[in-house]
Amino acid sequence: MNAPLFRVVKREGGGPLRLAVSYVAAVVLALLVGTVLLTLLGVPALTYYKGMFTLGIPGSRYPFKQVEGFLRLFVPLLLTSLALSLAFRMRFWNIGGEGQFTMGAIAGAAVALKLGDVFPQPLVLLLMSLAGLAAGGLYGALAAWLKVKFQTNETLMTLMLNYIALYLLRFLGETKGTWNFFLSSQSERPKFEKFPAGGQMLELSLGDFHLNLTLVAAAFICAALFVYLRYTKHGYEIAVVGDSPNTARYAGMGVGRIILRTVFLSAALIGLAGAFYVSSAGTLSTAVTNDVGWTGIVVAWLANLNTLGIVVASLLITVLQFGSQVAGTSYASIDANFADLLQGVILFAVLAADFFTRFRLVGRGRQEGLK
Amino acid sequence: MNDSVQVLTLFLFNIVLVNIPLLYGTVGEILTEKAGSLNLGVEGTMAVGAIFGYLAGCAANSISVGLAVAFLSAGLCGLLFALLTVSLQANQNVTGLTITTFGLGLYFFVGKGLGDRWPTMTACDGLVQGFAALEIPGLSRLPLVGKALFSHSPLVYLGVGIALLVWWYLTFTRPGLRLRAVGENPAAADSVGVNILLYKYVHLVAGSGIMGLGGFYMALYMSGSFEGSNCWINGYGWIAIALVIFSNWNPLLAILGTLVFGFFNTLQIYAMPLAAAFPGALGWLNSVPPHLFKALPFLITAIVLVASSIREREGSGQPAALGLNYYREER
Repeated sequence: MNAPLFRVVKREGGGPLRLAVSYVAAVVLALLVGTVLLTLLGVPALTYYKGMFTLGIPGSRYPFKQVEGFLRLFVPLLLTSLALSLAFRMRFWNIGGEGQFTMGAIAGAAVALKLGDVFPQPLVLLLMSLAGLAAGGLYGALAAWLKVKFQTNETLMTLMLNYIALYLLRFLGETKGTWNFFLSSQSERPKFEKFPAGGQMLELSLGDFHLNLTLVAAAFICAALFVYLRYTKHGYEIAVVGDSPNTARYAGMGVGRIILRTVFLSAALIGLAGAFYVSSAGTLSTAVTNDVGWTGIVVAWLANLNTLGIVVASLLITVLQFGSQVAGTSYASIDANFADLLQGVILFAVLAADFFTRFRLVGRGRQEGLK
Repeated sequence: MNDSVQVLTLFLFNIVLVNIPLLYGTVGEILTEKAGSLNLGVEGTMAVGAIFGYLAGCAANSISVGLAVAFLSAGLCGLLFALLTVSLQANQNVTGLTITTFGLGLYFFVGKGLGDRWPTMTACDGLVQGFAALEIPGLSRLPLVGKALFSHSPLVYLGVGIALLVWWYLTFTRPGLRLRAVGENPAAADSVGVNILLYKYVHLVAGSGIMGLGGFYMALYMSGSFEGSNCWINGYGWIAIALVIFSNWNPLLAILGTLVFGFFNTLQIYAMPLAAAFPGALGWLNSVPPHLFKALPFLITAIVLVASSIREREGSGQPAALGLNYYREER
């Protein structure tokens, strides 16, 4: 009999230790690949990595500025990844984070520019957040509604919506006109208007360090999501639908309603991240997303959709991205794209390692009753 | 009047010249998706094929070496995708996106790493001549369409040829039929003895290789000038994914779709000259924001996607098992 050399068998639940080991191994592997590449370019790898992982803090004249810069990248990524994991748990492949983030940013900017001078700052910030939530949420819910109603492929749909949002943003940023209140009226060339003081995010001053309030909000949302997924009826429903929509249907759950609700929540949080980002930056920009919609997918997956894991993974990815920006300033030939390369290798390794936590190989001789 | 005819001719000529990489990307992705795999790594795969194809082509001063290396290096991306999603059961969306991130990262890393050692295309006459326009005798003298359709580089005709070949392969050959079965229902195909693993690997690698050829074309079209801020591919990979849907997973329609998408893509560049050449009929072009033309391919595709899902797969070419991993013991 021509039996295969080995066969693949599903493993019952991978141990957390096995998971942790495989992830550490993935990072080490990526750094090794990076070392080889850096050496090929004649860049001293150790010095480069040291600059990267210390984020340029030692020896900096304004170490707090580095931390603030780091957090400016970290908060949007954390929020987006957390939000995406909600949809992914139901196997709804929302790859429209870029578009939802953009829509949230545009809506937040519109509120800031129109009402920033009219209302007191806390109210403006609240309204901006609500506008971001609504814009992002509705944009995502469109794809969810089409999926529930007509089984429209959500991966492809959200992908298209990303680009529609992107070109809307560019249109707003590059088209002069009396109607276009997004642009600065002073500048000759099209340039986004700076928000009035009311539309800028509050910061708590702790000595020299300015703690952006969005970090506090993100931490709160993270804790709330943890509880939501683990201890509420909604969280349970998400888990069942993700496991098997048919089981959920037999149990009498309204699967369509659950999908719509959860995707709206997921997309709304991404929109909120967009509104947070523009209020922290104090202006809109055509590169507002900083690819966070794509990177968020990577982070959510790296973390196995685990809420606490996402905190760790988004920290790691932000260190790579911010660190490579910092370390790259001393080497002309390397820039932030090096982080993309490392990120790619890490994820490839984790995706491969995932297999061995979910499945195991059984050799030919080990089949029961067969030799 | 002569001037306006010239503008129109140039416009039509550029629709083909600038947008053929879309056809390569689309046909490659159709082959991949017909095997049931959704590879979102087109952009990265094309970038890898572009840069390595170009560098090898320059080093050997030969366009065929460039084509071969572009196909192989992009094919390696496809092999990686197949290894992770077919053998190791990884999620296809995430793997594809990672290939894009990784491919673009590699592209910029190599390009910037070479710095001053970057080869210029003018120094490689083999590439310049290989990419030069080929006047098809007789046909290229036709008014208007002669220049637009029959005086292009051989790589343009290679792209059309590959599209026709893949169409023939999918529609009329036995392996093509089996491949479609793999994409529709792998368990059924497996049960009648189709080697799923082999079919997936071969077509995923070949599909990515074809994408790489499109990347190589783009490199030559951009005269091989590396820019630190913008990749040559510049979003074509994503438009190709949209075009697969627009052309209903049919390579023959993909040729037509490339011209339709290319029309809008080029209109955005030619809006001003066209409006100036035909102020009466096309003057309104000046008042249309270029962003609308850019967004139009995605907008149209979104509408096509919804419309075809409302018609409930009737006549749709979308493989039923698209994006789903096949795990034999779960059938």
